[in-house]
Amino acid sequence: MNQNKFLPPLVCGFGAAVLTIVPGIKSFSCCMIVPLAGVLSIYLDHKINKTSLPIGIKSAIWFGFMTGIFATLFTTSLDVLLTYLARTNDFVQALPQTEAIVRHYKLNGMLDQTMSMLKQMSVDITTNGFSAFYTAGILFSNFIINTIFGTLGGILGMTFINKRTKVKI
Amino acid sequence: MEAAQLHNSTEEKKGELFLYLSDFISRKRAFRIFLMASLILWCLGFSFDSLFHGTVAAGITYPFLKKIFHIVCHQLDEKTFNVNGAKLFVCARCTGIYLGALIASLASLFYIKKISLNIKLLYISMIPMLIDVGATTFKIYSYSKPLAFATGLFFGSVVFVYILTAIENNFTGNSY
Repeated sequence: MNQNKFLPPLVCGFGAAVLTIVPGIKSFSCCMIVPLAGVLSIYLDHKINKTSLPIGIKSAIWFGFMTGIFATLFTTSLDVLLTYLARTNDFVQALPQTEAIVRHYKLNGMLDQTMSMLKQMSVDITTNGFSAFYTAGILFSNFIINTIFGTLGGILGMTFINKRTKVKI
Repeated sequence: MEAAQLHNSTEEKKGELFLYLSDFISRKRAFRIFLMASLILWCLGFSFDSLFHGTVAAGITYPFLKKIFHIVCHQLDEKTFNVNGAKLFVCARCTGIYLGALIASLASLFYIKKISLNIKLLYISMIPMLIDVGATTFKIYSYSKPLAFATGLFFGSVVFVYILTAIENNFTGNSY
C-alpha cells in the first residue's frame, strides 16, 4: 500500500472535520471547508512527490473523493464522541423548533410517525448519549455530501496546480 | 398521391428532427445535461420547503433536508432568504453559488464549443466574495443578503465553468 496516496487525504480530511465542528468557523466558511480540503490534499500530494508531471483527472478525483471519505469518518466520529460526552447536540436542541414548524403542516398521522421517530432519537441521545439511527443518518448524509464536495475540490485543485506549473493537460 | 407525398414529407421532417436532436444531444451535451439535472435536484432540495410550503411532502422532508443541508451551510436565520413564507435551507451566499452554477450549466447547453478560461478569472471571482466575507466578519459593514447572493452568484457561475472545463478537457484529452 502506498501510504503517500492516503496521507494527504487523511490529514486534510481530519482538518476539515475539525474545522466543521468548531463553532463559528462554519458561519463564514460555509460549504467551502471540504472543497478546500480537497484542493489542499492534491496540493500536498504534488509537494510530497515533487513531480513536475501534470495531475490527471483520475488522481484528482481519487484525492478529492478520499478526502471526502476521511472527512466523513472524522466528522461523524467527532460528532458521535461530542454527543456522547455532552448527551446533547444541535439536533436535540433544534428538535422543539423543528416540531413547531412541522406542526404547521397539519400532517395528522404522518406527523406523529415522523415526530415519534425523531423524538426517539432525541431520547436515545439524552439518556444514552448515542442513537444508532441518528449516527447512521449523519454518516450517510455526510458521506454523500462530503464525497461530492471533496471531489469537486480535487478537480479544482488539479486545475490550479496544472495552471501554476504551466503544464498542458 | 397527395396523401403519399404528405406522408413522405412528414417522415422527412421527422428524420430531420431526429438528426437535429441527435446532433444537439451529443455525448458532451448529455454530460452537461446530467450536470444541470444534478444541480436542479440540488437546488430543489434546498428550496423544497419554500416551493412546496404547506404540503405533506414538505412537512415530512423538512427535518431531514434541514439536517442534510446543515452539513454544507450554517443556516443562520438572519443570513437566509425567506421565500414563499419559508426559509431556504442554505444561506444567501450559498443560494447564490448554487444558482450561479445552475445558470452556468444551463448556458453551457447552448455553448458547446471548447471553453478556455484564464485562471485569473477564478481568482477575480473569489475577490468580491472574500472581501464581503471579511468585511462582514470584521464588522466593517453589516451583512447584506442581496450582496452575499450577488457575490456568490458570480463565484458559483465561474467555478462551475472551471470544473466543467477541467472534467471535459481531461476526459477528452484536450489541452486548454
